[in-house]
Amino acid sequence: MMRKKINIIIDGKDYLVDEGTTILNACKEVGINIPHLCYMEDVSSNASCAICCIEVKGSKKLVRSCSYSVWADMEITTNSERIRKARKTNLELILANHPDDCLKCDRNQNCELQKLAWELGVREQHYAKTRTKILPLDTSSPSLIRDPNKCILCNRCISVCSEVQTVNAIDVTGRGLHSRVTTFMDRGLGSSVCTNCGQCSLVCPTGAIVEKSDISSIWRDIYDPDIFTVIQTAPAIRIGIGEAMGMESGALVTGKMVAGIRKLGFDRVFDTQFTADLTIMEEGHELIKRISTGGTLPMITSCSPGWIKFIEHFFPQQLANISTCKSPQQMFGALAKTWYAEQAGLDPEKIRVISVMPCTAKKYEAERPEMNSAFHYWKERKKLKNRSGFPDVDYALTTRELARMFRETGLDFAGLPEEEFDNPLGKSTGAAVIFGATGGVMEAALRTAYEVLTGTTLDKVEFADVRGMEGIKEAEIDIKGKPVRVAVAHTLKNARKLLDEIKEGKSPYAFIEVMACPGGCLGGGGQPIPTTWEIRKKRAESIYREDINLGIRKSHENPEIQALYRDFLIKPLGEISHHLLHTSYSQKSV
Amino acid sequence: MKSSKVQQIDNSLYDSIIAGYRGKPGDLLSVLEDIQTATPHSYLTEPAIRYVAEKMKVPLSRIYSVITFYSFFNLNPQGDHTVTVCRGTACHTRGSRALLADIMIKLGLNEEETGGETSYTTDDMRFTVRTVACFGQCALAPVIAVDGVIFSHMTSEKLEAIIKKLSSAKKPVRRRNP
Ligand code: SF4
Ligand code: SF4
Ligand code: SF4
Ligand code: FES
Repeated sequence: MMRKKINIIIDGKDYLVDEGTTILNACKEVGINIPHLCYMEDVSSNASCAICCIEVKGSKKLVRSCSYSVWADMEITTNSERIRKARKTNLELILANHPDDCLKCDRNQNCELQKLAWELGVREQHYAKTRTKILPLDTSSPSLIRDPNKCILCNRCISVCSEVQTVNAIDVTGRGLHSRVTTFMDRGLGSSVCTNCGQCSLVCPTGAIVEKSDISSIWRDIYDPDIFTVIQTAPAIRIGIGEAMGMESGALVTGKMVAGIRKLGFDRVFDTQFTADLTIMEEGHELIKRISTGGTLPMITSCSPGWIKFIEHFFPQQLANISTCKSPQQMFGALAKTWYAEQAGLDPEKIRVISVMPCTAKKYEAERPEMNSAFHYWKERKKLKNRSGFPDVDYALTTRELARMFRETGLDFAGLPEEEFDNPLGKSTGAAVIFGATGGVMEAALRTAYEVLTGTTLDKVEFADVRGMEGIKEAEIDIKGKPVRVAVAHTLKNARKLLDEIKEGKSPYAFIEVMACPGGCLGGGGQPIPTTWEIRKKRAESIYREDINLGIRKSHENPEIQALYRDFLIKPLGEISHHLLHTSYSQKSV
Repeated sequence: MKSSKVQQIDNSLYDSIIAGYRGKPGDLLSVLEDIQTATPHSYLTEPAIRYVAEKMKVPLSRIYSVITFYSFFNLNPQGDHTVTVCRGTACHTRGSRALLADIMIKLGLNEEETGGETSYTTDDMRFTVRTVACFGQCALAPVIAVDGVIFSHMTSEKLEAIIKKLSSAKKPVRRRNP
């Protein structure tokens, strides 16, 4: 629907703008940038910073443009001495309550507060520091660290957590100068309903929420001659890491990524996409089995660990709907330390599996106590020296952390040659790369399930209905004259809607894909900052381009997957799969 | 938290309080206030908060935000008597700091350095000492409130007498905190 246009006067010139939009957005539409800090599109406008102030004719006070709507013939001024001074003062007051830690901060050079201080010309400290006590960090989460000292109370994290994710793990506590963002009873994110999705860390303008970094442990392992380091990269890294290294949004850099990682000194560079194909084999057969034997339907995908924690907290009665398949990250870890270790003649206790994920919740997933199948596998075969156990995946890095490791070595990323993944855990299909976009797991599963169930070849492998950024997508496929309805949801808010339907017994679907983050993994909480809808769309385009580049586009046609079943797993849902590739879930309190 | 003093309250009481405010504006505040008043030692227990969260469909983080915003909500059991010391500027310049120190020593309490308003309760649950940012009674500084009643131009001697009297009283009078 077209919005009505009205005339307003900005800095003495007439412009036609949408009626009802804010002054800030109206100006942006016509190419005039108003500096702002707390405001973020689609996320929050608690109008706390007053950086976006402008003059409106008739108003004595300066007006906060992010929260003030335009009206017909409004006359505004965006640049005057008074405005410039006010903005600077407001910013200096915020900085007076902020540590001068830029040199040691995770967000150094990628911080909205720092950038604004530079842009608005802050060069001196005119105000005495107002933060007198250093507040403790919240390090209770396996995925994130919150530093309340760096928080400017913009509300973005609270609003994302509540409105996009409907998790509500955090809110403001106290009042006035003592206000802080915190969890229930100040117990910390790790003891809360937080899903570790990291969306709050993506929108935070400062370094107040960052991922818990594993980089130093990884450097140590890389340089340890006794340790064999195996790294896996998720689908969404190849369309994110280039961006984090200064290339254009969504740059598709699979070959450079492999070359760069190899330069860091990892012993083998493998691909999570290999186990994404494997996930499709297992999950596809699980779906077929559930449909044919009257199992619990709809079946829901299980690769998004934030989503898993969400359902464990909020919908424990629906856990039987979740596929028992582990995520590709965990399938990889279990295989690397069993099948691959055996093949390569490696001691499983000396292998370290490191993954690069677009996701902060993957750190949590790797730490889940049940994720140690390889340990049990070897224990049963009595081949272990160390009896205390080890995880299948040792460390999960975010895209941002991989970029940090690249920078530490001075790598010229854009100038790298293209290299190939190592084998045998490096070969994948187009069905695997699309796991990185919302709808991708569904599309990949349909490509395989359709062909397995009908015994025929698909004329067209693309399922357009499940692509795109719509919050909930639906499709119906005809399988041997039987219509099968499926749905795809991204963000936990949309997942909640589908779960409510299931709870009420009204869900018409056989299969549902859920990804916790907006846009799917390509918009994950570990991806480069900023991540906006415009950027998500560019990343998605690259993902679908890579689907075509890979040639083979169906998981069951991956020759390495076929070999894995022939030589080791025997068949999908078989005995070994059951032990290594499947898992179970448990209720968690709220 | 002095868990030994926690008394289990029947959920039906919470239910009737919640039902009484259903659909009314500000229902959450009213419910929490009534529950606190009905709870021995005048505070909000975690089971009570969780119950309210579940029944009223309010996130725990939100309730915690509300509780910590208003100083009249308590998260810890309160003593039979509450002495509130004003820490406003006027009271401060007229010796509220020393008054606070005095009463803490007399009641055998240890003061911890914290940022905001604080609250300490004696082990026998007889007294709670709290501080507030300002009573807004600066003309009468230094000001102290005892069980909600304001005492002006307070001195250590006067305060000691008040405490003595309260300590010897057989039956403590229950009141809401200021
Ligand atoms: S949050 Fe930003 S401004 Fe603050 S210390 Fe970090 S980089 Fe500097
Ligand atoms: S990680 Fe996700 S669930 Fe946890 S606080 Fe941040 S936005 Fe909320
Ligand atoms: S933690 Fe970050 S996003 Fe949240 S309120 Fe503070 S500055 Fe804003
Ligand atoms: S951006 Fe408008 S008040 Fe912060």
